[in-house]
Amino acid sequence: MASLRDIRKHISSVKNIRQITYAMKMVAAARIKRAQGAILASRPFASRMETMLTDLYGELGEENFRTSPAYPLFEQRKDHGPIGLCVITADKGLCGSFNNNILKASLAWLARHRGRKVRLALVGRKSRDFFRRLKGLDLEIEIELTGIFPKAGYAHAELLAGRMLETYADCTACGYTVIYNEFKSMMSQRVVEAQLLPLSRHILRDPSCGPLCHNFAFEPDKAEFLGALLPRYVKAQVYRILLESQAAELAARMSAMEAASNNALDLISDLTLKLNKMRQTMITTELNEIVGGAEALGG
Amino acid sequence: MTKKKRLLMDIVTPEKPFLQDREVDFVVLPAEKGEMGVLPGHAPFAVQLRPGVLRYREGSVEETFAVMGGFAEIYKDKVSVFAESAELAREVDEERARQEYASAKAALSAHAPDMDMESAQASLKKAAVRLKVAELRRKRPGQK
Repeated sequence: MASLRDIRKHISSVKNIRQITYAMKMVAAARIKRAQGAILASRPFASRMETMLTDLYGELGEENFRTSPAYPLFEQRKDHGPIGLCVITADKGLCGSFNNNILKASLAWLARHRGRKVRLALVGRKSRDFFRRLKGLDLEIEIELTGIFPKAGYAHAELLAGRMLETYADCTACGYTVIYNEFKSMMSQRVVEAQLLPLSRHILRDPSCGPLCHNFAFEPDKAEFLGALLPRYVKAQVYRILLESQAAELAARMSAMEAASNNALDLISDLTLKLNKMRQTMITTELNEIVGGAEALGG
Repeated sequence: MTKKKRLLMDIVTPEKPFLQDREVDFVVLPAEKGEMGVLPGHAPFAVQLRPGVLRYREGSVEETFAVMGGFAEIYKDKVSVFAESAELAREVDEERARQEYASAKAALSAHAPDMDMESAQASLKKAAVRLKVAELRRKRPGQK
């Protein structure tokens, strides 16, 4: 049976752990505000970009669009040959099932695309370590970004998206899928599998007003303009995804660390109870012994 | 007489809206094929920007920015600039810009075989722009 001293030691170590988990929770809570702010701040750019794209598409018309340099980004390519996968995890653990869910989802994705060469774009130390250990599959790591959270900037998105666009453009990867955690709320994250490239046509909705109502002049011409705009659109998308994942990671860490702190509190109160009971029994036995001894002498 | 017509200007970067609905008199954009001045009443225009210096005048105050490529849209006296990054001239750190310029130049002249020439060129250009903006500011110290 554990002695009093052992229990005291146990309590103090649990207390130390609680201090750490509680501090981590507070740090995540403070950072999440900033992460959410970054998401909000990135929205105007993305939405303005989209309006500009639709306007431009309306101006260009379907015929010209097919011959523009932008068209390959939308083209559905044949269903064999190498394929791209972008996995976004955190750099650190201690955030519940955040990383595990992503890695599980990407394993499932790999199983579905068995037999094809896969080009990887990895973000986060956890995904890098995981895929480096993975053997027996035809994988090639195109780019890995680690240590960018919790300060992911547009420069990182540019780097990542630039590499993906490059491999897509020279046909070494037909299509890219992104697997990441979406920030749903403070309490829940959702694993999302989204197709990044080729772009889906729905971003080119018909513009709300006819092509003639704007009558823009362009420099350089429209087709080239669209061609230059689309890579930036992709980069803005990737940036949004990075920010989502960053906020989701912080939210996951916050709830995981909160749960851990609560568990530590429970454990401490259980142990304290046990300690007090044990001390009480020891006192009682001692008293009994003293009283018994005195009676035997005085008897 | 009615109030003088003015332009509304937005500068949006992916990281944050940089400038919103600022009323200005005159804007100079660093367009792909040379600088382009915009006054109120300009025709609808969409233009691609190169990394360069963007200026606007508001009354007698002139502000200078370094913008790193992107687009501008002019429509109904509203100028919207979508830049990959923007920096106010007075916030550019000249010393850092100089160092960046030097290192970009060194990287370019080193000619490493696996180096991406395009991106090296781009970073050199960006550093040059920031340096230029910093110099402009120094030449006209009277301005804010």
